[in-house]
Amino acid sequence: MAKPAVRIAAVQACFALGVAAVLARAVQLQLVQGARWAKEAEAQRTERVVLPARRGTVYDRNGVALAVTQEFFRVGVAPNEVTDRRAAARLLSAQLRVPQGAVARDLAGPKRWLYFRGPYTATQVQPLRGVKGVHLDGDFLRYYPARDLARAIIGALSPETTTGASGIELSLDSLLTGVPGEAVLLKDRAGRRYDSPSRLVRRPVAGNDVYLTLDAALQEIAERALADALQAMRAEGGDIVFLDPATGELLALASRQASGGAPRPSTITDPFEPGSTAKLFTAAALLAFRRVDSTDRVSGENGIWRMPVDSRGRVRVITDAHKERGMLTLAQAIQVSSNIAMSKFAQRLAPEEQFGVLRDFGFGSPTGIEFPSESRGRLERPDRWQPLYTRASVAMGYEFGVTPVQLAAAYAAIANDGILLTPTLVREVRRSDGALLYRHRPEPVRRVVSSEIAARLRAFLAGVVGEGGTGERAQLANYALLGKTGTAVRFAGGRYVRGEYTASFAALFPADRPQLVVIVKIDNPKGAYYGGLTAAPVTKSMLQQALASHRVAIDRSRLMPGDTAAPSAAPPHPRASIAEPAAPTVVVPWPDPGDADSGARALPVPDVAGESVREAALALHRRGFRVELRGIGRVTGTTPPAGQTAAAGSAVTVWTGGVP
Amino acid sequence: MRLKGRHWLVLWLVVFLLTAGAVVARQTAAFRAARRLRELRDQRTALEARRADLERRIREASGRQVLVPRAERELGLHLPADEEFILFPLPPAAAAAPSR
Repeated sequence: MAKPAVRIAAVQACFALGVAAVLARAVQLQLVQGARWAKEAEAQRTERVVLPARRGTVYDRNGVALAVTQEFFRVGVAPNEVTDRRAAARLLSAQLRVPQGAVARDLAGPKRWLYFRGPYTATQVQPLRGVKGVHLDGDFLRYYPARDLARAIIGALSPETTTGASGIELSLDSLLTGVPGEAVLLKDRAGRRYDSPSRLVRRPVAGNDVYLTLDAALQEIAERALADALQAMRAEGGDIVFLDPATGELLALASRQASGGAPRPSTITDPFEPGSTAKLFTAAALLAFRRVDSTDRVSGENGIWRMPVDSRGRVRVITDAHKERGMLTLAQAIQVSSNIAMSKFAQRLAPEEQFGVLRDFGFGSPTGIEFPSESRGRLERPDRWQPLYTRASVAMGYEFGVTPVQLAAAYAAIANDGILLTPTLVREVRRSDGALLYRHRPEPVRRVVSSEIAARLRAFLAGVVGEGGTGERAQLANYALLGKTGTAVRFAGGRYVRGEYTASFAALFPADRPQLVVIVKIDNPKGAYYGGLTAAPVTKSMLQQALASHRVAIDRSRLMPGDTAAPSAAPPHPRASIAEPAAPTVVVPWPDPGDADSGARALPVPDVAGESVREAALALHRRGFRVELRGIGRVTGTTPPAGQTAAAGSAVTVWTGGVP
Repeated sequence: MRLKGRHWLVLWLVVFLLTAGAVVARQTAAFRAARRLRELRDQRTALEARRADLERRIREASGRQVLVPRAERELGLHLPADEEFILFPLPPAAAAAPSR
């Protein structure tokens, strides 16, 4: 047996080894793996959670909430945690509007978890807070307080992703969506969470609030008038647009389809053949190219004209509802909406000229409104026209398609002394704290016609709603308006449908310094189908309601008898009523007052290199330039080059195969 | 006076207890503040929901769809034609007066 000293040394060595092992393990845990274990420990007692950001609110122009994000709740109940089941059943039944007996049965039964999907408002679940066994699961949901008002325009969120799926919700999604925050919650051993303000990692930032240009009161008037009209006329659908011509702001957009289903924003997405409401644009071209003067007359052909369309003697029969025996000036042709006279006058224009003016009024290209899936309408290039045939068709408002919003913007240009503005739906964008991020200012696209021609066109419109005009039924007793009727045979399934019509009416109100452009379109009304008998009275009714409503923002001081100008004063004979106006009005402060040459404001040419010809042409059109294409494919440059200035309305050549 | 070993022990114990007590008190206050904050937040959410609901109901009740038929039916009123209302121009003095 070993000596005691040896045994003690052995024990000491064992202890030393043990201490060394403990130390080594401690070093391994604390120094080598310390970070990992610390992280794991933290994960066990804390939890990182995403704090959802509130989506911005959508308001009308006067602050009426149209789409708000609100916290809603779903309710879970753990029956085994509930102490007083009878009281809990009574409370749940009262607050969640579920049968008390069923809840009581479920609470007493074998179920371990009851779930009420709701969603319930905070007001509904408030009494349930603090009840043992009741767990609330909160979530931000979109809510539309005005229910169906302008729903097709506002759109909706995708239920899966809670991002915008349609309408304004989609087009302004990046503005409305906030930035989620992050926080750390403390957990105890039972997994219960404790909020801790000091552990907020990142505060959520709410989305921006958007103020639309829509006026809820006017929108309501338009939607109601449209619904009543469709019912009374047993029509298939319709659209109404109200636009402020001075700013391009859309005040109301109502669409309705009798077929039901989800509302479709057809004022922006669905083009139609405008019929006679488009005659004014051919008149604009005739005046702009000086192909007609106020004394020029053509025969009304007693309502039927066999128009020769080729050299082989083929003819096209053009008819008028009004059997005009005599001769008609351009103004009279507009007043009685004569297809024959307009077709004859249009023969004085080259297809390129007619096309160019329509294009300048914005037809055939998107207006640039902040809305997804906007239709550009339909306007064929003039080299695809059948020379004689299409000229007459276009003069009568056929063979091209416009959206109601495009038509409103084009009429606004006439109200605006010839300047086309980009229509808009967004008036302001504000941060959640109220700070202003964006405010809409009128965006001039181009001068379409001179102010003198615009004034002459307005005088033509005064004749339409005067005595003997096709739009007589729109005229108000005390306040003058301007307007043009339209009735077009409907084009559906690749052919014109006999007996089906699109009735329309375009109005400027009041006649002097117009504050409103109104477009009313009725699809396939039964019975009386002329625009003057269907859409015109609807316009009148809406204007009366708007005038009577203190909520609708009309500058009534400009409607005073002393302030109302001559176009309303209809002389006794309708034909004599179309007088040249005295002086043009100026509504839009563009070009700048200091700019002496109003038609040739210098604008920078945008850089479109690398873009497709289509995109480049769109960008240049939107800046107010005309486009001349040289080749197809990707754009290599422009003349004048990007960055240089060129006069608004001048031609920019787009090159695809190298700039010479 | 020199402190003996047990006095040191008591002193350390007191310091430990005071520190631990301060930590617990601070944590308790924080949890209480957090709970109060949550209650206030819940209250605000409930009030916001109530406000939104009331705004919607006011809007519906004052909308044309409700008011116009009721005014026509119960009061015998009708939507005025434009010749039935008159706009009065403000006298220049009233127009120029600053609004409050």
